[in-house]
Amino acid sequence: MLTASHIRKEFGSVSAVRDVSFTIPRGSTFGLLGPNGAGKTTTMRMIVGIYPVDGGSITWNGAAIDDRSRRRFGYLPEERGLYGKMKVREQIVYFGRLHGLHDPEIGERADTWIRQLGLGGYAQRPCGELSKGNQQKVQVACAAVHDPELLILDEPFSGLDPVNADVLLNMLNDLKKRGTTLVLSSHQMWQLEQICDTFCIITDGENRASGTLQELRSAWPTRVVKVEPATAALRTVLDRIPHARALETNGALYYEVPASTTYPALLRELVDADAVTRFDAIEPSLQDIYLHAISNPPPTGNAHE
Amino acid sequence: MSEIITVYSAEVMRRLRSRTFFLGLVFGIIGVVVIIELPQWFDSYSRQTDRILLAGNPQLVAAARPLLAKDFVVAGNWDGSGAPSLEMLKARRAAAVVAIARGASGVRVTLYAKDPGMISASQLRRDLVPLNLQFDAGIRPQRIGALLNIPVRTQSLVAKFGTAAESDAARAVAYILLVLLYILIMVNSQLIMSSVAEEKTSRIAELLVASVNPGALLAGKVGASATLALGQMAIWVAVAWALSASGQGQVAAPSGSEGSGFSFTGISSSDVAGFVVFFLVGFLQTSTLFAAIASLINRTEDLGSIAGPMFVPVVAGFIIAISALAVPDSPAVIVTSFIPLIAPFVMFARIVVSSVPAWQIAASLAINIAAICAIAVLGGKIYRVGMLLYGRTPRLSQIWHAINA
Repeated sequence: MLTASHIRKEFGSVSAVRDVSFTIPRGSTFGLLGPNGAGKTTTMRMIVGIYPVDGGSITWNGAAIDDRSRRRFGYLPEERGLYGKMKVREQIVYFGRLHGLHDPEIGERADTWIRQLGLGGYAQRPCGELSKGNQQKVQVACAAVHDPELLILDEPFSGLDPVNADVLLNMLNDLKKRGTTLVLSSHQMWQLEQICDTFCIITDGENRASGTLQELRSAWPTRVVKVEPATAALRTVLDRIPHARALETNGALYYEVPASTTYPALLRELVDADAVTRFDAIEPSLQDIYLHAISNPPPTGNAHE
Repeated sequence: MSEIITVYSAEVMRRLRSRTFFLGLVFGIIGVVVIIELPQWFDSYSRQTDRILLAGNPQLVAAARPLLAKDFVVAGNWDGSGAPSLEMLKARRAAAVVAIARGASGVRVTLYAKDPGMISASQLRRDLVPLNLQFDAGIRPQRIGALLNIPVRTQSLVAKFGTAAESDAARAVAYILLVLLYILIMVNSQLIMSSVAEEKTSRIAELLVASVNPGALLAGKVGASATLALGQMAIWVAVAWALSASGQGQVAAPSGSEGSGFSFTGISSSDVAGFVVFFLVGFLQTSTLFAAIASLINRTEDLGSIAGPMFVPVVAGFIIAISALAVPDSPAVIVTSFIPLIAPFVMFARIVVSSVPAWQIAASLAINIAAICAIAVLGGKIYRVGMLLYGRTPRLSQIWHAINA
């Protein structure tokens, strides 16, 4: 289990991380969300020990993180790079060695990664000759070749085309199934929704919301209902809901209603008023929650504080 | 430790396979061959410029020939009259015709030269003085030559060298080894600097420092570079040794010395040991500093401007060491032989050309090894932070914060 407790990091007069806390159960997948400059990368760098924390603490399985435990971590930084002249397989093997792997295991693992990522045709080519997407796959392999207990990926999907993003997503799912604890940051919310169990939204170096998607949704104050067709009678029913707000009419009626609204009762009222061809209660997406969280001051709306 | 070994092995392999290492090795060998062969080439050229033809009265020419043979190659006689043609000189591969005549005031010489600057008139005059004495006082030229040649035996008061020739040979050894030391330290330190800059600019730095302790990364790099530099040097010295042993040539002594130079086979094992020790000391100091500085740049083009000031102590050390060859016991030389970054050159020069008290060598090594530790700690801190600083070049205050973090 990875626990960050009120961690803080300052660079001179700039506070990059003011107060961030979260707990990531072993084997789960955690999404760290926030706008640019929120402190995500600094938080990740503190976890892998690139930066020492200025305040608070980070523990892995209850113990402070030392060089030994750090070798069992993997990290894919946002700023990516490879040795341009080094061959693909050789590069993966090198990073495996840096994490304490030995022959012949390291060669087998490198070959497995090369195969899984579809890099077989490039194994003996210098990394500098690869496309950006393929280079990114090599970087992922370098970060994960030693089968880390904790794998931290900073914006792993950026720069990948949909096919390669899907390959990466499948690979992360495989790691998840094998019990690897994953920490990801991304601006592609739908991808995070697909893979992450828990989330933490930070902005200005502080927690804004954290928890599972269900917990985040539970804390969300409103829902959206979609009703078809867009008739005056149905609109009248929806307008009667306390604190309801009409959003748009695009062949259907969209209304933001309080989360406490009882949908069966509402549906009955609608059916009594007119013929209803469609009724949807739309849960807030991760993107909705994210946008709400970063635009509102803490601590309101936090599932776990 | 295993991290250092991994980085070390990877760096060694990377450098061994790099074109620059191969080219450096090859050009180094070519350089050694040129250094060894150059004196011979110059010698053979100077022999051509010393070739003269004699003209004039046959008896006078016969008397002058042995006198001139000391400093010139007398290629034969010329029987023509008046000024010789340039074509004739070229055809007989001679630099000049020396026409000798006897007048009322003694011997008179007319020199017809392709390039008058190549034939020393004063040398001609000095060589032919016995002829004038013979004609004036009746003494045989051979006797006059013997009388002029007073033997001088030089005895050094410094225990290290018995004779002036040995002292000059040691100076020549020190001179050549100092140049080699300077080249090896500068070239390999700059290679480390380029390697760090490459990792920084290719953005692999963050992946590296997350995988391996920055100190281990730096140590592995420096260790690999030191090993390869020593290996390279061993190959160059072996080539020089082989050429010298096969009698291919001698390296000329520095100008101003009386000795004729030295052969690589004459380098003592203590000189080699001193070279290796002071190379390692100098290289570890310089390369660690250069690596730390390189970690601060964002573009390889900035390397020159940010690293420029770092060259100053190394170049200063080399210049002082060259001066130390002539005055190894001057107070300024003695003081600078303890100062980090400078001492590896100066103390090495002092050791080769003079008898340095053991305590001074020990003190210098202790100070400089302590300096390596201090530079490693300081450089490691700058390196750790510098590798992750992107954007503009960090201000001094940021570097200071990094050092104190």
